Amino acid sequence: MEKLYKFLKYTFIILWTVFIVAPFLWAVSTSFKDFQSVNSKVTYIPWLDFEPTLEGWRVLVKSPARGGVDIVEPYFNSIFVTCTASLISIILGTLAAYALSRFTFKAGFVRNNDITFFFISQRIMPPIVLSIPFFIFLSTIGLLDSLLGLVVVYIVLLMPIAVWIMVDFFNRVPKELDETALIDGCNPYQAFYKVVLPNSIPGLIVAGMFCIIFGWIDFFFAFILTFTEVQLLPVKVVALNSSITPWWSLSASALISVAPLIIVAFVVERYLSKGNLSGALK
Amino acid sequence: MAKIELSNISHSYNPNDLNPTYALNPFSMTWENGKRYAILGPSGCGKTTMLNIVSGLVKPSKGNVLFDDNDVTNLITEERNIAQVFQFPVIYSTMTVFDNLAFPLRCRNFSEKKIEERVKSVSDTLRLSTFLNMPARKLTADQKQLISLGRGLVREDVAAVLMDEPLTVIDPDLKFRLRRNLKEINEEYKTTLVYVTHDQNEAMTFADNIIVMDQGEIVQVGLPKDLFERPKTTFVGYFIGSPAMNLFETQLHSDNSVKINDTTIKTNTNLSKLKNNNIKLGIRSEFVKVAKDESENLLEVNIQKIEDFGNFKLLTAKMGQLTIKSKINREIEISNNTIKLHFPAEKCCVYQNNKLI
Repeated sequence: MEKLYKFLKYTFIILWTVFIVAPFLWAVSTSFKDFQSVNSKVTYIPWLDFEPTLEGWRVLVKSPARGGVDIVEPYFNSIFVTCTASLISIILGTLAAYALSRFTFKAGFVRNNDITFFFISQRIMPPIVLSIPFFIFLSTIGLLDSLLGLVVVYIVLLMPIAVWIMVDFFNRVPKELDETALIDGCNPYQAFYKVVLPNSIPGLIVAGMFCIIFGWIDFFFAFILTFTEVQLLPVKVVALNSSITPWWSLSASALISVAPLIIVAFVVERYLSKGNLSGALK
Repeated sequence: MAKIELSNISHSYNPNDLNPTYALNPFSMTWENGKRYAILGPSGCGKTTMLNIVSGLVKPSKGNVLFDDNDVTNLITEERNIAQVFQFPVIYSTMTVFDNLAFPLRCRNFSEKKIEERVKSVSDTLRLSTFLNMPARKLTADQKQLISLGRGLVREDVAAVLMDEPLTVIDPDLKFRLRRNLKEINEEYKTTLVYVTHDQNEAMTFADNIIVMDQGEIVQVGLPKDLFERPKTTFVGYFIGSPAMNLFETQLHSDNSVKINDTTIKTNTNLSKLKNNNIKLGIRSEFVKVAKDESENLLEVNIQKIEDFGNFKLLTAKMGQLTIKSKINREIEISNNTIKLHFPAEKCCVYQNNKLI
């Protein structure tokens, strides 16, 4: 019985690994192919099936004037927008979450839980609902097609995630901890950043991870709110496609666009496996 | 260190409702500098609310808090220089034991030299010296509670150390030692200690003065002996002492005696002004004795059971519907099923409407 269980378990794990890893391997292989190797017949292994070339990768860094597509600038744009928006969202979201967790708000029938739900409801709406208001808003304040405009929009999109995770996290930090800090002589702000915040690092990491993921992968708003001045990576990657699909450079760009998330995942995984984040994630 | 005065304090958690319910009914009280107080009462009687009002975590709905005659009612917690220890250990888990103990001093900008000296002294008292460089989260629950306690004691000038059932998580042996430690600290530094508990033994052995609370009221304040011998209400009689005080429904008989069933019991209380309703007689089981040659205040009872507790025997007897408990010397052998119990007049307490006459 135990052997069967083990057998099934490992079979499943292997199948699942293949399912997850195969597309990546395929993309890695494809990124080194040329037109011939992709379109003539199915090829798998470099040097045996096809002659590998770096052309798919070179195109990505060459300027358009020299026949390339140059995703370097969109890449840094994406990093800038994602990191800035995530950082601001985490700071504002953490403060909002702390207030929602510790103080009682009353406005008519609105209570703390309603306010928390209000934050989350931003993510329940289909994004398309927000596209027109955002467009008009950015064009009114003159931030359409600019990095700053995107940062503003992404803060709106990411802050609910931060609030949601951090409210839940702060609710699990006993109130006595804050009270003890006050008794020990902190003012409420010091109690927050000297005592509560250091105890909330696991929650901050999880919230930060989610913000970075959701910011990094957004295509919709980056597509709608930018035109020529500024481009973000997802838009640029999609724009690679033309009448002849350049599978090699598409694969290469897909790989380098998931790279930062894989790095983030590896860093966070160490905390996750240590159990340091238990309770930070539902 | 300070004299703490609570003047006409009352508190409700829903003061804006039409019928606010009061967690604390109006009261006034003074805590003298350097004394040990225990607040005793069942769960939910307002003990913690009272502490939180003193420490400033809760602002009272009405009344004033005075430290050495200065009104601190509107001061926030950090400005009151008070220490409070909670029921469950609260530690700064990201810091070492040393940093935990040093935290209250650092918040108040003490010099590092002074901090080191104070932390060393407190950690020696609490036997935490060997753990000073360890992360606080790695300690056991009772060691963590010692850290909480240590943070309270590390400030010499603290107005009072308030403790909210601090020894709940600590094992009995250490509990005993810590209580003695706290007493020593109190005697040495003259720190006012206020200790909330629902354990009467803890209160009795720790405090100079005991404050008994019930349902938001202060029922009695007094020395352990007074609380034991002359409980001001039947609640105190019932709550303090193990077993609880014997209480009987009685009828007035004369100016100083009452009747239980048909037996007359003399008391040392003047009962002449009482109306004859809802009168109770109370006597501690410690004072009910097996009669030898007494001629009055005798009750003839049937023995129900005798339990041997090692250091005493607990005798449970019935007279009609009434149950009487008596703690007797364990050397006393009882062979008869029916015996006479003696109620010493000076130990009998008479209550009307549950209040001591």
